[in-house]
Amino acid sequence: MKFSTKNLVTLAVFGTLWGISEITLGTLFKTLNIPLSGVLLSVIGLSIALIGRIFVPKKGSTLFIGVIAMLLKLFSLGGVVLGPMIGILGEAVIAEVILSLTGKPRLGTLTLAGSLSVLWVLAQPFVTNPILYGRTVFVVWEKVINNGSQLLGLRTNAVFWILGIMTCIHLISGVVAGIISWTLGRRLQQRVGLSSEE
Amino acid sequence: MSLDISRETQKISERRIPLGTLGHLAVFLWCLVLVLSSTPENMFWITGLCIVVLMILYPGVWRSIINARRLLLLGLIAIPPLYFLGDVDKIFLGIPYSSVGSIISLHIGLKFIVVLMALEGMTSAVEISALAGILERFGLKGLGFSMGVAVNLLPSLQKSCTQSWLALKMRGGLRKSWWKGLKLFSLTSITCALKRAEEIALAAESRAFSPEKTRPLPIARSPIDWVVFSLTCLSVLLII
Repeated sequence: MKFSTKNLVTLAVFGTLWGISEITLGTLFKTLNIPLSGVLLSVIGLSIALIGRIFVPKKGSTLFIGVIAMLLKLFSLGGVVLGPMIGILGEAVIAEVILSLTGKPRLGTLTLAGSLSVLWVLAQPFVTNPILYGRTVFVVWEKVINNGSQLLGLRTNAVFWILGIMTCIHLISGVVAGIISWTLGRRLQQRVGLSSEE
Repeated sequence: MSLDISRETQKISERRIPLGTLGHLAVFLWCLVLVLSSTPENMFWITGLCIVVLMILYPGVWRSIINARRLLLLGLIAIPPLYFLGDVDKIFLGIPYSSVGSIISLHIGLKFIVVLMALEGMTSAVEISALAGILERFGLKGLGFSMGVAVNLLPSLQKSCTQSWLALKMRGGLRKSWWKGLKLFSLTSITCALKRAEEIALAAESRAFSPEKTRPLPIARSPIDWVVFSLTCLSVLLII
């Protein structure tokens, strides 16, 4: 993982932008109790991180952006919130792995990275709640199903429908993040000039 | 909103035992490992021990735990098992609850308090640059420099984002074609940020900064760090 000075500054900028969105919008969305706020935040954050990947198409750059955003969130106003921190890092790691395996960032790879990373928002409680808070997987499962049933207006016994639709929502949101990052990234490259990787 | 490396944190950091970064991290990991490996049988003395150690190291940390949002979160996490796990076989002040669920509730609640106290204590004591320095030593070379840039950029980027947003709003950019407005907002914000990044990169290079030649950020050290580290490792081995 070798970055030039310009790469490092560019990564810092995208990490800061992700951090800002988490610090400001995260608090706002949670206060307003907006449904699927986690998905919305991860779409915004990942769009920023994936644009960063377009500007610095090197292995490790997405993880770098995620770590910066996570550290900014860790020290942000309102104190420590474990969930978002683990969420940011998890999303960054998944996106990094996919983008490192698929090579140069393209529309297809960005959408794949985006969709699987946003899916982490759905999977995260099953991993973190039992480990950190000692909640059983059954309780987490029940909460996910109840939330899904309330959101979709379905009965709680339609478990497979709820889970299927929720998964689709997360995957589609991730695809949107990929498309946004590709479109905006290219527009930005035209505006700013060449990428930082001349 | 700005970074909170200030008042509340400073209050906590007053009157604390002088540990270095390694010591604070060791204590944080020690608490995590102990509470995560605790069982309902030994939870009281393990969480009690963690809370006592954390209170000694970070005397004011409990203040930041007691706030409405965190108490609400604690309630949301700890109360459901009282009714959903095991048979509802007991009554307290006319409210029926499950005795099996109450033990699990208590376990969850205590774990939550210890994890929050440990993390809050660690973040109040360890500087952001020290954490970046540690991550740099684990392969994220240049993270210290990037974190420095990020922390310095944060206020100006927030200001520039707010100004772009207000300008767009005042010109009616979010009324009819709101999607186009949002796209323009993102483009403007990121372009401003990138222009600023270019200036910073130029300034750093003109001062002969090179990521390959820089040393990782220094980490605060204390003579008792290794003692604390050894004690935590030993106690984890003994307890588990």
